[in-house]
Amino acid sequence: MARYIAQRLLQIILTFFLFLALSYMLLEAMPGDFSQLFLQDPKLTLAQREAIAASLGLNRPPHERFFRYIGSFLRGDLGVSFQYYPRPVVDVILERAPRTLMLFISSTVVSFYVGFFVGKLLAWRRGRVLEYITTVGGVTLYTVFTPWFGLLMIWLFAFTLDWFPIGKFITPRLWRDAPVEANVVFNRMLLTALVVSIVLLTWFILTRRIDTRRRRVVHWGGMGLGLAVVVGIWGASGLGPYALNILHHLMLPVLTLTLISFAGTMLLTRNSMLETLREDYITTARAKGLPEKVIRDKHAARNAMLPVVTSLVFSLAFALSGGVITEGVFSWPGMGEVLLTSAVVQDIPMMMGALIFTAIFALLAHLVVDILYAFLDPRIRYG
Amino acid sequence: MSETILRVENLTMHYTTRAGIVSAVDDVSFTLDEGESLGLVGESGCGKTSVANSLLKLLADNAVIKGGQIRFKGTDFVPLSEEEMRPYRWRNISMVFQAAMNSLNPVYRVGDQIIEALETHLGLYSHAQARQRVTELFTMVGLDPALMDQYPHEYSGGMRQRAVIAMALSCNPDLVIADEPTTALDVIVQDALLRQLKTLQEMIGMSMIYISHDIAVIAEVSDRIGVMYAGKLVELASADEIFHHPVHPYTVALMSAFPSVTGPKRELQTLAGEPPNLLYPPSGCRFHPRCPFATEICRQQEPEFKDHGGGHYAACWHPQEVTV
Ligand SMILES: Nc1ncnc2c1ncn2[C@@H]1O[C@H](COP(=O)(O)OP(=O)(O)OP(=O)(O)O)[C@@H](O)[C@H]1O
Ligand code: SF4
Ligand SMILES: [Mg+2]
Repeated sequence: MARYIAQRLLQIILTFFLFLALSYMLLEAMPGDFSQLFLQDPKLTLAQREAIAASLGLNRPPHERFFRYIGSFLRGDLGVSFQYYPRPVVDVILERAPRTLMLFISSTVVSFYVGFFVGKLLAWRRGRVLEYITTVGGVTLYTVFTPWFGLLMIWLFAFTLDWFPIGKFITPRLWRDAPVEANVVFNRMLLTALVVSIVLLTWFILTRRIDTRRRRVVHWGGMGLGLAVVVGIWGASGLGPYALNILHHLMLPVLTLTLISFAGTMLLTRNSMLETLREDYITTARAKGLPEKVIRDKHAARNAMLPVVTSLVFSLAFALSGGVITEGVFSWPGMGEVLLTSAVVQDIPMMMGALIFTAIFALLAHLVVDILYAFLDPRIRYG
Repeated sequence: MSETILRVENLTMHYTTRAGIVSAVDDVSFTLDEGESLGLVGESGCGKTSVANSLLKLLADNAVIKGGQIRFKGTDFVPLSEEEMRPYRWRNISMVFQAAMNSLNPVYRVGDQIIEALETHLGLYSHAQARQRVTELFTMVGLDPALMDQYPHEYSGGMRQRAVIAMALSCNPDLVIADEPTTALDVIVQDALLRQLKTLQEMIGMSMIYISHDIAVIAEVSDRIGVMYAGKLVELASADEIFHHPVHPYTVALMSAFPSVTGPKRELQTLAGEPPNLLYPPSGCRFHPRCPFATEICRQQEPEFKDHGGGHYAACWHPQEVTV
């Protein structure tokens, strides 16, 4: 396994540099440069514009700039953003990326979970009216025009029903005399989520040998306890209301992203599950007199999950592009928004930075799914 | 005189398909005593698996039990719901499936799959006790107990088959149904496994139903043999009677297709034709299109499944009196 991961990392690095070169070339191929944004500004003379271009290094030949870029990249320097001048690109990414990660990971997890759960039930109880409603509804959402749907969601839930705030990351009024910056709170929230998932996972792995009846109590007890500890710590820190404010802002975009993407998982799970239900080991499970739920979840769904997990990799691209659009619609200040604006103003370093972030994220997510798969399917032996 | 544990009466089971109704099991009756082994034999597609699955009501979605009774120790299974059937499955009647190669779940350790059955039915086991029981079972079927922590794909075909047998025996069932448990294995492994299954059966004292299309395989391990043809049980008698005094022309044909090395030279009477499509079973005796002794009555009326003396049952208008 370790060898496999090492091999994959090497592969990832190669792919990454290929991606870097290609992106650079594409950006280079765009007509004009940053200084020409000021073309219509009568106060800037040609000489002044040229001075801007020169100060940004835009007058150097492309290959020279590329190698200098790679050089600084290896030193961890992605340059300075033109539009947020003089903030370094890395700084902007560090501020924005956690927000995008949070949005993306929570919507992926929720839509996977919902899609899997519904798909499983659809296969188990076939031919109900519910099946048609969910299938038609799911496919409609899956194929819907994302910006339109995002606006519809805002109109319905934020504007008409007023359940959620209209876009943005925080409510400025509430944060005016907050003791810390929004990003600090947000990063602590991310950290909490990470720690809780790791602890719960360890807990589940440690207790999987306990017999079935007690296991359920132990699992729910563990989850309840974890939740209580988290609530306690946040309550004591005095940052609870701020965290809740961010969560409140997070909900509608996550809901939207989930709705447009769960149907993919749902339909795939349903098909995979129908196939699994025909397997001989399902007949064995029935013959063994196991309860229906155990047959459905432990035997059928567990196997049906394998192709669905594989498909996660392929849905990554979909989720990323959906994410960019959704961030735009909800004015969620994440990487998607940065990517869009920097493309518009030809802020090349920022755009490269955003693309690099996307690439690293996609490649790592791919690796994570591969490793996850190896744990889910004992027949897979990497290495 | 041992007790009768299973009494199947006039069992009739259909599959509904788009093309029509497949009458896969038609009016089948037999009994099984404690500790007895019954062989079910017949060509492919004659309904052996359908009978076996009906006994535990492990039916396909399109299968319907049209009538009859399946009395296990006095309880009729036919009206029971899935949930009511659960306690009987595996605890009282377990199965070794035809596709035993694939009857283990690929994502769980083999030992854990057996422990699952133990936990479901015998609940009282702690994990250590359950592992102890699996060790016992593995030793019994000739598998290294260390293998219990491996996954099915790490087993060879023969090993998987043994593991499946160990699983079938795990809850000390009263009856084990072995549906062609060895067809996927090579001949030598087949033979060894069958003999071991027989030894285990005698040791534990449970009843068995062996199913095979090969009468030679059945003969070695069964006390009584039932011959099936096109969804019907056509003859049922002790293995000895079936071998030496078959009554039904189909059994006679099966027996003569079975080469005897020691016996006198016989003319090998191969059966012409194919078994009928069960969507359109023949009228009267279902064997009549292929039967050399068929007469008008055979085409018109179904022969009754009746005792021809000493518990030798057969359904034929013109019972044969051959001595093989
Ligand atoms: N789910 C089903 N739907 C429709 N027809 C079926 C179904 N299962 C079996 N049949 C049909 O029922 C008949 C009996 O099948 P069954 O599997 O019981 O035979 P078998 O004697 O076990 O044959 P084999 O030796 O091939 O295992 C066959 O004609 C088969 O095509
Ligand atoms: S009833 Fe008639 S057709 Fe059927 S087996 Fe007997 S002799 Fe042959
Ligand atoms: Mg069969």
